[in-house]
Amino acid sequence: MAEVEETLKRIQGQKGVQGIIIVNSEGIPIKTTLDNSSTVQYAGLIHQLVMKARSTIRDMDPQNDLTFLRVRSKKNEIMIAPDKDYFLIVIQNPSD
Amino acid sequence: MSTSVAKLEKKKRRELVLRPSSGAINVSVSGLHGSTRRPNSVVASYSGRYFSVIGGSKMLEKSAIQAPRQAVRVFDEGNNDVTPRPLYQVAPGAVQAKASWFFVEEIPGGSASDQTSTTGGLIMPFFRSVLGSSRISTQSTIESMNEEIENTFSKQDMPINLPDVQKKREIVKEQVTEEMLKDIIDVYLSETSTISLLDIPNTFVSADADDAKAIIERNSQYAEVCRNRMGSHKYVDHSVQTVNGAAKNKQVQSDSITMVDAATAASSLKDMGVFGSSLNAESDLQLILSSEKFQHCFLVMERSILRNAFQPKLAAYRQLPVLEDPDSPVRPGTVEQRKEDIENSRSPALKCLWAFSCELSRGRSVSSMAWNKKNLDLLAVGYGELHSSNQKPGLVCCWSFKNLMWPERVIHCDSAVTSLDFSSNNPSQLAVGMHDGTIAVYNVQSQINISHVISSSKCPDKHLGPVWQLRWTQTELSLIEEQVESLSSVSADGRICKWFVFISDLNCTELMKLERVHNKKKKAGGNGTEKKSVLSELTPGLCFDFHPLDSGLYLVGTWEGLIHKCSCSNSQQFLQTYRKHFCPVNCIAWCPLSPELFLSCSSDWTIQLWKQDHCSPVLGFSSTQGAVYDIKWCPKWATVFGAIKEGQLEIWDLSANILDPVIVQPAAPGVTMKSLLFHTQSDCILVGDSAGHVTVYQLKNLRARESNQVNILEGLISSAASRQFCKTQPDKNRSIPTA
Repeated sequence: MAEVEETLKRIQGQKGVQGIIIVNSEGIPIKTTLDNSSTVQYAGLIHQLVMKARSTIRDMDPQNDLTFLRVRSKKNEIMIAPDKDYFLIVIQNPSD
Repeated sequence: MSTSVAKLEKKKRRELVLRPSSGAINVSVSGLHGSTRRPNSVVASYSGRYFSVIGGSKMLEKSAIQAPRQAVRVFDEGNNDVTPRPLYQVAPGAVQAKASWFFVEEIPGGSASDQTSTTGGLIMPFFRSVLGSSRISTQSTIESMNEEIENTFSKQDMPINLPDVQKKREIVKEQVTEEMLKDIIDVYLSETSTISLLDIPNTFVSADADDAKAIIERNSQYAEVCRNRMGSHKYVDHSVQTVNGAAKNKQVQSDSITMVDAATAASSLKDMGVFGSSLNAESDLQLILSSEKFQHCFLVMERSILRNAFQPKLAAYRQLPVLEDPDSPVRPGTVEQRKEDIENSRSPALKCLWAFSCELSRGRSVSSMAWNKKNLDLLAVGYGELHSSNQKPGLVCCWSFKNLMWPERVIHCDSAVTSLDFSSNNPSQLAVGMHDGTIAVYNVQSQINISHVISSSKCPDKHLGPVWQLRWTQTELSLIEEQVESLSSVSADGRICKWFVFISDLNCTELMKLERVHNKKKKAGGNGTEKKSVLSELTPGLCFDFHPLDSGLYLVGTWEGLIHKCSCSNSQQFLQTYRKHFCPVNCIAWCPLSPELFLSCSSDWTIQLWKQDHCSPVLGFSSTQGAVYDIKWCPKWATVFGAIKEGQLEIWDLSANILDPVIVQPAAPGVTMKSLLFHTQSDCILVGDSAGHVTVYQLKNLRARESNQVNILEGLISSAASRQFCKTQPDKNRSIPTA
């Protein structure tokens, strides 16, 4: 557990990382480094996005599954690692 | 009338007289159920077909199918003869079939009055039910039959000869004994007479039949009659009421179907609190965080983030074109810097990409580095203070190029690490040599149980001094015809040992003892007697290198400054000794591309290039004042090598300049460089220093990029060698071949 906390701190301290959110399977954020409203917004919107992405992958090939999702935008990049029990969301701005 | 006739007949046959409340003759029907006793109701004989079911052949049943020899007479209170009359008169020669398998069913009688006229038809199929209801049905049937017998006439025109089951005696259960089982029982199978269950005479006759003519005539007659019917007086309309059969109610009960109500409610995200501070969320978090998949997830995420952050540098390392990020905001300072870069891009330079360092390694000096043989992105770095008096416990970190900020594996060792090597046969095994002479082999597959597989700490022959170099070599045994790997080490106690695994411990055999070789000039004048020196006979070995092609041949550099060429098969003598250095030889390296050459560097500030069969070096290089600690050939270009001096890194390119290094990179202030490693595939160099950083540099603009480097090198060597033999001639035109 301590190791996990340490890793979390390390990621947080990387260059350009703006926030980390961990969401459980019901869509409730259980750990976050951002403020309340942003967290809720991110969690809700990203949940839908991931569901859509996952269904897309599975429709193409039912044996396949989504492992990682990266959304690159003008201002930052959102990286999502989905799983059936949780989502890990990291927002980074690499050019900072 | 016929009834009375029957009665008379019956009277003849009567033998038994029954009174009420007298013991009754047992009546049993089914062989399965044994006997039943029933007072007050006896059936003397009843007609019908009785088929009894006999389950197994174990029970011998005497189905008493007899003609009613003994008649039973029943009298009521008023002494009236109320003996039921038989419904069926058995023909004297009735066949008594032995019952083997019969089906018994029951069609119970309905009300007596209805069956007056049709008794005959109904009696015929008189069945008994198979299972337990036989007793009850027997009773009911008997009672109904009692009624019927008064009113009916016995059937005498039964076309079929039926076996008659009259009053049955108690079925005796014979005990089945062992002997009986062994008896051979004859089973007679016989065919019953054909039972017609349904007979619908056909209404069509073939035209070819014999009586076809008669039938046709009759048909025509009938048609005539029908036609005449209307006006004829012969026919009268009359109505008739048909007899409706009695309806019977039957009830069925099935298993009940249970229904369960279940309901669930879906809630939207907005209804939930944001930070579910309930216990549920907390435990969820703990569960998730400690799961293995999450760790892996974290790993991938961290690498992605880092790759984003270091993207240009990693691209340069991997020799991919560095793409400009179109969205990054352009800062005014950077534009000018880029212009500068373009101007200075002609001369060879080192570009610093990044440095591997973490909290664990800060402050520790890098002592050795090694690439993994299989995964070329994995690097093992050993940390340990080599020359200081206070020995901190050593550390080995395995760094990956995918994660630049934190090592993949961390191993804490007991004493300072002095040398490392990865195995080629088992790529996850890392051999670590330490300052106290111990050699340990670790399995770096997983971080969780990273422990040494084997260690030489218990070996009695272990090294007594620091293990300065380790190497895994592959020897091909002709018998097995496969590459066998063995670990060799050279240490400060003057021995070169080859290690093998012996009962889960490392054990060694000695390859060579490095004996002190005294100066021959002094000895020549001596009288041949050797004085025993007070000092130990062995001199510390500092480095060794195996020949790239022949793994039985190796070079050793000693503290005395001598380089010995030795063979694995000869542990007594050196094959050849190369003398030039007068200070300890710090490193030796065979040239990987040209196997005849090797380089040596020493604390006497020089680097020497040797050819294998020449006793004196072909070329010597010296630049600034400073001991040379490490030297390595560039694996890609044969004329390039790197050397680490105390305060700087030097890159020499022999095709450009043999007097001076092409690139000189000074170390950061206060830090001394310790170790050097070339990357096998790209043009990057890794330098480890005493502050615990491993810096990655990229070589830029080296002119040596053509493929015929080896030829150039060899040309150089040969020209240099020839110059040596012609020492008297001054070298005026030193030819510097250009690429």
